[in-house]
Amino acid sequence: MKKTIPMMVVMIGGLVWLFWVFSPHYLMQEDFLNKFFIPWSWAMIPPATILGIVSLSMMHNAKIRRRAHKWQYSFFFFAGFITITLAGFFGGTQKGGLYMWMFENMQMPMSATMFALLAFYMASAAYKAFRARSPEATVLLLAAIIVMLAQVPIGTRISRFLPNISQWILDVPNLASKRGIMLGVGLGSIATSLKILLGIERSYLGGGD
Amino acid sequence: MKFFKRMQELDRRWIYMIIALAIIIPLVIPFDSDNLTTPPTENLYQMIDSFAGREDRAILMSFAHDASTMPELFPMEVAILRHCFERNIKVFTFSNSALGAPIIDYAINTVKDEYPHIESGVHYCNFGFKPNLFAMVIGMGDNIATTMNVDAEGRKVETLPIMRGITNYTEMNLVVEFSGSVAGGTWIVYARPKFGLNVAVGVTAVMAADQYPYLQSGQLIGMLSGLKGAAEYEKMVDIFAKNNQSFSREKLNDPSVREMIRITTQQVASFSPDEFAKFLDKYPQHQGLLEQYKVDRDGKVEINWTQIPPEHAEQLGFFAMDELQRQANHIKYAFKTARVGMNAQSVAHIVMILFIVVGNLGYFAQKLSEKK
Repeated sequence: MKKTIPMMVVMIGGLVWLFWVFSPHYLMQEDFLNKFFIPWSWAMIPPATILGIVSLSMMHNAKIRRRAHKWQYSFFFFAGFITITLAGFFGGTQKGGLYMWMFENMQMPMSATMFALLAFYMASAAYKAFRARSPEATVLLLAAIIVMLAQVPIGTRISRFLPNISQWILDVPNLASKRGIMLGVGLGSIATSLKILLGIERSYLGGGD
Repeated sequence: MKFFKRMQELDRRWIYMIIALAIIIPLVIPFDSDNLTTPPTENLYQMIDSFAGREDRAILMSFAHDASTMPELFPMEVAILRHCFERNIKVFTFSNSALGAPIIDYAINTVKDEYPHIESGVHYCNFGFKPNLFAMVIGMGDNIATTMNVDAEGRKVETLPIMRGITNYTEMNLVVEFSGSVAGGTWIVYARPKFGLNVAVGVTAVMAADQYPYLQSGQLIGMLSGLKGAAEYEKMVDIFAKNNQSFSREKLNDPSVREMIRITTQQVASFSPDEFAKFLDKYPQHQGLLEQYKVDRDGKVEINWTQIPPEHAEQLGFFAMDELQRQANHIKYAFKTARVGMNAQSVAHIVMILFIVVGNLGYFAQKLSEKK
């Protein structure tokens, strides 16, 4: 019973969506989707948000109480969470308020700085590890150099053919490999979904039989 | 050989310092460069431009990213908003992520400062943060106003003037999704086959390669790829939209457009006598002031707008000063950030390629010496 009922829920839910995709019937497109699914999915968002906030707060609270590893950082969670929530509630989220000021002057530069660090790691990795050790690595290296050069204005000044070669690399070998990977992933997903719908794949229920 | 060995063991901090300088110097000292446009960017530009001046057409911009990817994605968003405001194209914005909502406000405020006549609810409408992307995508195919219900300012969407002539995807026929990871998925899978919505994306450069299968199959009508895509779009806005013209390949390839896309400060507004007379007619109350700064040179009337002191600039007002800057082909900083960034990227790419070459030379030299 403990496994049969959840399995039935998954199977019925999956089949309903399958019918929704393939059937243009009013019952599926209007009654199920617009009158049942969409209002319910919206109604679920506020409780889900509250659940997330409570869960996150409990986790950080427990971390502080237990003096767990790097527990001091949990204070930053509470400080940031409370400040930005109050700023949004009382000052509004438009320009001129504390919320937008914090976004423009704190969150934006800090997030962008973290992302920008990528350039430094990439340069270091390019210098230390990007080696033409094999014919495959050499092809990769040459393709990388051509695409990197063609991306920037200086590259197009070096040779007017560079953008065309770069576009060919992206349009042909890159596209072929990407499509191959996507088809593989797609077929794998369909196979797994069918196994779940037909009750063959049960590992998602957890535990052994 | 000792040199190559030492190069192989170069401390990472030197690499970091060189990269930092390679990025900072071109940002501080701008220079003019040309970013060749690519078909995915041109296609998106032309699609958006085809909606110019039409009451029954609009675009939707979906901000599906947080602040971390703003250096690459924000200039795209600003360039598209600017295109819409220049060419009188209705534009809707929304985000299915709470972290994307302030970015919409920031983008609109950045562009709106330069277009005082643009009004919220009339020329554009920000729906703000709306959770449950799937429900939104499907719902808007039926009716945009009932699905979105209220905009970010709490107004009923159906009562806004912008909604005249706009019901669903038949009119709001293009969505551009900006994302730092996989973009456009939900729109491609549900909205395109079901409602025939045109989908385009703006993605970070590292994610661009993933989108090519969708571009080739026509599921994506266009793509802006990283800072380069943003720079290409900025360039087209400066050449065409800013001059209220439609896209033309002949003009794009014409060497004369270089004057329109210079990112260094352009100081001199040059008028023919007829143009200057028309300009004066627009601002009769400032004729004396404008005459004070004009210089006649080779049959042309020139005004160096940077020589107008702030008190006189304030007296002339926003519109007259803006027109002088437009006539000088001066581009405001907010509208050329991608191109300034591309200069830094140019130098950084060259430095990285040098790193790769030097690193490999050292590797092979060391291998050779080990063999001996």
